[in-house]
Amino acid sequence: MVDGVSRMACVRVEALAAAALERCEPSLREQPLAVVTGTPPAKRVVEANARARAEGVHPGLTEAEAVVRCPALVRRAAFAEAEAAARHALLEACLSVSPRLEDAAAGVVHVDLRGLRRLYGSDDEVGRRLRRQARAVGLDARVGIGASRAAAAVAARVGPPVHVLPTATERAALAAIPLTTLEWSEELGATFARWGLVTLGDLAALPRHGVGARLGPRGLAAHDLATGVDRAPFRPWSPPPCWEDAQGLDWEIATLPALVPVLQGVLERLLARLTLAHLVVDALDVRLALASGGHHARSLALAVPLGEVAPIVALLALELESHPPAVAVTGVALSAHVVARPTAPGGLWQPPVPAPRDLATVLARLTRLVGPANVGSPVVVDSYRPDDHVLAPFDGGARASDTAPERPQDHDAATETAAPGPNAAGQLALRRLRPPRRVEVDTHDGRPRRVRDPLGLDAAVEICAGPWRSSGHWWDTDAWACDEWDVELSDHIICRLAHDRLTHTWLLTAVYD
Amino acid sequence: MLVDRLLRQGAITELVGPLSSGRTSVVTLCLRAITRRGALAALVDVDHAFDPASAAEAGVDLRRLLWVRSEGRRRAALKAVDLLARCPGFALVALDVGESPPRLPLSAAFRLRQAARRSRIAILVVGARRVVGGAATLSLQTRRDGLAWLGPHHVPRRLAGMRTGLQVLRKQGAPARVESERLWWTA
Repeated sequence: MVDGVSRMACVRVEALAAAALERCEPSLREQPLAVVTGTPPAKRVVEANARARAEGVHPGLTEAEAVVRCPALVRRAAFAEAEAAARHALLEACLSVSPRLEDAAAGVVHVDLRGLRRLYGSDDEVGRRLRRQARAVGLDARVGIGASRAAAAVAARVGPPVHVLPTATERAALAAIPLTTLEWSEELGATFARWGLVTLGDLAALPRHGVGARLGPRGLAAHDLATGVDRAPFRPWSPPPCWEDAQGLDWEIATLPALVPVLQGVLERLLARLTLAHLVVDALDVRLALASGGHHARSLALAVPLGEVAPIVALLALELESHPPAVAVTGVALSAHVVARPTAPGGLWQPPVPAPRDLATVLARLTRLVGPANVGSPVVVDSYRPDDHVLAPFDGGARASDTAPERPQDHDAATETAAPGPNAAGQLALRRLRPPRRVEVDTHDGRPRRVRDPLGLDAAVEICAGPWRSSGHWWDTDAWACDEWDVELSDHIICRLAHDRLTHTWLLTAVYD
Repeated sequence: MLVDRLLRQGAITELVGPLSSGRTSVVTLCLRAITRRGALAALVDVDHAFDPASAAEAGVDLRRLLWVRSEGRRRAALKAVDLLARCPGFALVALDVGESPPRLPLSAAFRLRQAARRSRIAILVVGARRVVGGAATLSLQTRRDGLAWLGPHHVPRRLAGMRTGLQVLRKQGAPARVESERLWWTA
């Protein structure tokens, strides 16, 4: 392969619907499997794996006929979400090799190999890599490589699992392939046989317009395949923002311990795909199909992006334990919102921080212990309203990582220079009373003189300073206006009193400590 | 530095004192020192009394602080501290037990110390009275030594600052350089 010369690969998974089920239940690979659809007695086979096809089971047979031909046949209902997930998994596996690919059909991906020689080596190497990546997401694929998508598609259907058409003799290699090795419609195959065509070379030798006039668009497509010419433009595929995987169940699951292994299997497949794309999960949507016909949906926002199965399964189990489905589950679908995998845990001189996995688990347990509204990182709101703050999700200091931490010697220097007084250790802290305690205050010349409340507080004001007047949101329903005083009480407590000018009440809002 | 003398990896430091004695200011000072170095700190707050505004003003990097509020549930607060003490990576886990803390069972206190030792986390317990007992490596008491107002005495303009005296109550295995001392806080 020479860089700059067009080389295309076709990655093909036979019988994708059956392959999708085998991906969900790997033990099915060892058995003849048929995917059936419809309602009895009109159930028909729509897909069959290689073992079943070898026994004579093919799409279109009724279920009864298929069982007669292959008594050991395992039958599974078609599960569209699992098939869609397998299709996406194949695309994502190819995306990890080349950024330019086309979703040609269910289970067929065209990959542009231009420029990959420097990364992976020869066509054979690239083909093997594509096959390996497909196997990593649970799919057994055949790979054909040629100068065009049509040639690659033919190569992927015949010959060894990784079939590279040599550049110099590609036309000759294509021409020698028998027509019977490719899948044609029954009518088209009969026409080719009647015309006496045996190989692709025979079909390619016919004039294209003549084939088109007699056989229509299907004939033209067959002729293009035989000549190895691409007529349609390349339609690049880009990954969706959400990555999904799913599994249908032939049985109903009513308990969480039984559901967890199923969730784990789906999650393992999803994370295998994300790993290939160097992505991690930021948030996860769970959609459980219920026996009643409805769905049970939950969203799980992770404290930190994760790419490991065990902690996410633990968090999912906790979430479903808190919000269990009302009836038994018949299908599981996971949809992941992803972010790029962080390249490094932190700077060389930064102190150690908890591993994302440990931090996520601890935050989830803390949230369960004290509630989601009570765990987080405090953020002071830019407002004059006293004690105006919110809790933001704790991200382990990721938001702060863009600012370089102080080294110990810097810190000493900063303490010395930033200290307000010559020997000040720091700033006097406040302890808030939430909600503020309502008190009765005797005043003299508008200044507090005595503070008392029904809970037993009765103290004279020794010294007071103030008032500091503030107000805000007067244009809205949550208007506020207060005068604040710093007072030292006779019981040696230094506190902050606030006089609400809207309700004319006194509040004990904080204590200096 | 004072904070390095007060806190030790894998050990429990206990800070007790009445209201307005400066104990919360000492906790804020520790949080400031830890977070400004780029390390992570956690504060388990039983009485929901932590004031983010004054902490930010004191220099605490709030983005590196995990605030857990137990809304008065002391058992939940102790469980939260136990969880955090088993998560290596936090440099400091502070527990503010508030004004009427029940005494921690000695076995639970020693288990907490063992967890902190394994995770190499410094634990700071602060409250009105001692709750950890013999599991604390260092116990200190805060008392108010002085108060300063700016302006004339009868109508002061504002609170200027407060002096806190630190007295060592218990020192087991702690460095010898930990001694009683006085700290000045500006308001």
